[in-house]
Amino acid sequence: MGKIGLIARREFNERVRKKSFIITTILMPLFFVGIMVLMVWIMTRQSDTVREIAVVDRSGMIAPRLTNEGTIKYLPSDRSFEELRDEGTSDGLFGILVIGENIMDDPRVQLYTYESSTVTIEESITSQIRKIVEDEKLKTYNIDNLDQILRDVDTPISIQTKEITSSGETRDSSSVLSMAAAYIFGILIYMFVFMYGNMVMQGVIEEKSNKVLEVMVSSVRPFQLMMGKIIGIATVAITQLLIWVVFIALVGGAAINYFAGDAIDAAAAMNMAEGGMPVNVDPDAIDQAALLSRLTDMRYLLTMTLSFIVYFIGGYLLYAAMFAAVGSAVDNEKDTQNLQLPITIPLILAFIVMISAMQDPHSQMAVWFSMIPFTSPIIMMARIPYGVPSWEIALSIGLLYATFIGMVWLAGKVYRVGIFMYGKKPTFAELFKWIRYKY
Amino acid sequence: MDDILRVENVTKRFADHTALDNVSLAIPRRSVYGLLGPNGAGKSTLIRIINRITAPDSGKVYLNGREIAPEDVYKIGYLPEERGLYKQMKVGEQAIYFAQLKGLSRREATDRLRTWFKRFGIEYWWDKKVSELSKGMAQKVQFIVTVLHEPELLIFDEPFSGFDPINANLLKDEILRLRDQGATVIFSTHNMASVEEICDHITLINQSRNILTGPLEQIREQHGTNIFEVTFRGDRERLKQALGERYAVLESHEPEEEALSPNKIKITPREDGNVRDLVSLINDNVEIRSFARIIPSMNDIFIKAVAGQL
Repeated sequence: MGKIGLIARREFNERVRKKSFIITTILMPLFFVGIMVLMVWIMTRQSDTVREIAVVDRSGMIAPRLTNEGTIKYLPSDRSFEELRDEGTSDGLFGILVIGENIMDDPRVQLYTYESSTVTIEESITSQIRKIVEDEKLKTYNIDNLDQILRDVDTPISIQTKEITSSGETRDSSSVLSMAAAYIFGILIYMFVFMYGNMVMQGVIEEKSNKVLEVMVSSVRPFQLMMGKIIGIATVAITQLLIWVVFIALVGGAAINYFAGDAIDAAAAMNMAEGGMPVNVDPDAIDQAALLSRLTDMRYLLTMTLSFIVYFIGGYLLYAAMFAAVGSAVDNEKDTQNLQLPITIPLILAFIVMISAMQDPHSQMAVWFSMIPFTSPIIMMARIPYGVPSWEIALSIGLLYATFIGMVWLAGKVYRVGIFMYGKKPTFAELFKWIRYKY
Repeated sequence: MDDILRVENVTKRFADHTALDNVSLAIPRRSVYGLLGPNGAGKSTLIRIINRITAPDSGKVYLNGREIAPEDVYKIGYLPEERGLYKQMKVGEQAIYFAQLKGLSRREATDRLRTWFKRFGIEYWWDKKVSELSKGMAQKVQFIVTVLHEPELLIFDEPFSGFDPINANLLKDEILRLRDQGATVIFSTHNMASVEEICDHITLINQSRNILTGPLEQIREQHGTNIFEVTFRGDRERLKQALGERYAVLESHEPEEEALSPNKIKITPREDGNVRDLVSLINDNVEIRSFARIIPSMNDIFIKAVAGQL
């Protein structure tokens, strides 16, 4: 086994046996599930404070027909606006809605509130009144069986999106799923690059302050040391990822089976019946089915997993080399903050661009940033769920790995000098000088 | 005696200072070679150049007559002054790891380590973590790691620091035993007492230059003072009188010392005299119990050399 292999194996063995590794490996998925549950809870949670709105209806047509929506309660009032206003908030009112006498011809209403109003409330009011006015106007045409017709006309639409692949086949696509996948994969890459890159840096600092490097460099070249460490930690990362993938597949599979058995059947039916939408299925179930059929589409999953691994490794290697160079230059972790800036800025920038790339994955900005190697792992992972031409992926991967090789070469030069520099806090100018040192 | 290592006109400059200025030295095979010098003199830089950790700006290093090459690291064992082991790793495993990096197979490393651990009586450390060992204990482990691959050239940087006298002795014996088995030892230190005990040759580096080099005994002879110390039985005053004009008696600055050892006297000739005459002169007057020329300690030579008084 080569020396890089020996070093990598030691890194792997030492780290995998650590308690902290075992603990994070177990806790991280739980943590993730917790975060997701929390997010879903926050998004679906309705505010529990009841908002009472007094309705002063001079037309007399609207107030009786307003229905309470969620926590918004409409209280028809026969008192005047002035009376209500003078009473102030003593009734615990959220606000007063004033509807003019002539609402049919002059469709304007006023909402007076004691605290700032919200979009939800305003939408509730306008949509309800609009519906009522519409219905009233229709009635003036004296159509027979109008109520029956109106009930009939009211149709909730469910949309099923299909994507046409380059080979002309169609397959189910789900923009909700794409978005979620973009978000999750983007964040995962961001987190992992940071986490494992930092691990490399701490490892280098530890070896330097322990003086282990002094012992090692007499038998190993600094470059081998650096590469061994980077590769060793990469194997730790991949091991951890695989454990998580297996864990998520098992737990997720079980959960889907348990909670969404019906939807799975629908999904299976959809996968079978080419293009046709199965009848007799509740539209909600079809939505879920579209999502699930995507989730259970092996080719899709495989593409995602493969590109995740390729981009994670590329991004990790690129950043780990930089982290190693920074680690070699300092004596302790406190001194790393300044030097870490050029590492963290592109990462954070990538994270910001990712948010916009998720909304418009084929915008010029998204495309460019998915080519630049320092941001491409995160941005491209956020774009891939929406479908990206293969040549773009190939180019971006090529650039990423080429830059990695260049970066390792540079980092190796800094590392070689840095590991013997003690006692002073180096600046960037010095790091660049080290690159040009002849050894 | 041939030279295992030759350093020729090595110069190494750093941004703001010169660490080595045209330093040359030759290290005889199977010797214990002391590399002396005050802190910051350039010893560590020289050792790093020999180890190929850094390259000199100019000058060459030859091992066994050939310019030193990357694969020569296997022929060198280096114990740096700053001891470093992974604190969380178990002793045995760690020693095997370092041995493997030096090119030993896992099995061979294990066999040799068991032998060494037995010799040092530390078998029970095998499964301990380094963080559980004391500094001296960790240094023993490090020493074993350094010599395990049986290199022909060993470089020890301050090997005795942190050792108690018993373990320092054990280490000294091991160093001499390794030399007797054919290894050459370069030994960098400021501990002059240990230099006198084990070094055959020395080089003294000061302010980036080689200022004194040669076999230890020869150097001490060269810098020998012309002072003789005599212990005797007989009349001190009579002896003093007999020495007369030709010899000066060095009176001790501390009277108590004279009182404590009235039968000891230090003599130096006022002009070049031969030692035989002096001995017979003393012998005529008192009974000689010992007669010795005072050879300066390495410590004295070191301090004088560094102060530029040689």
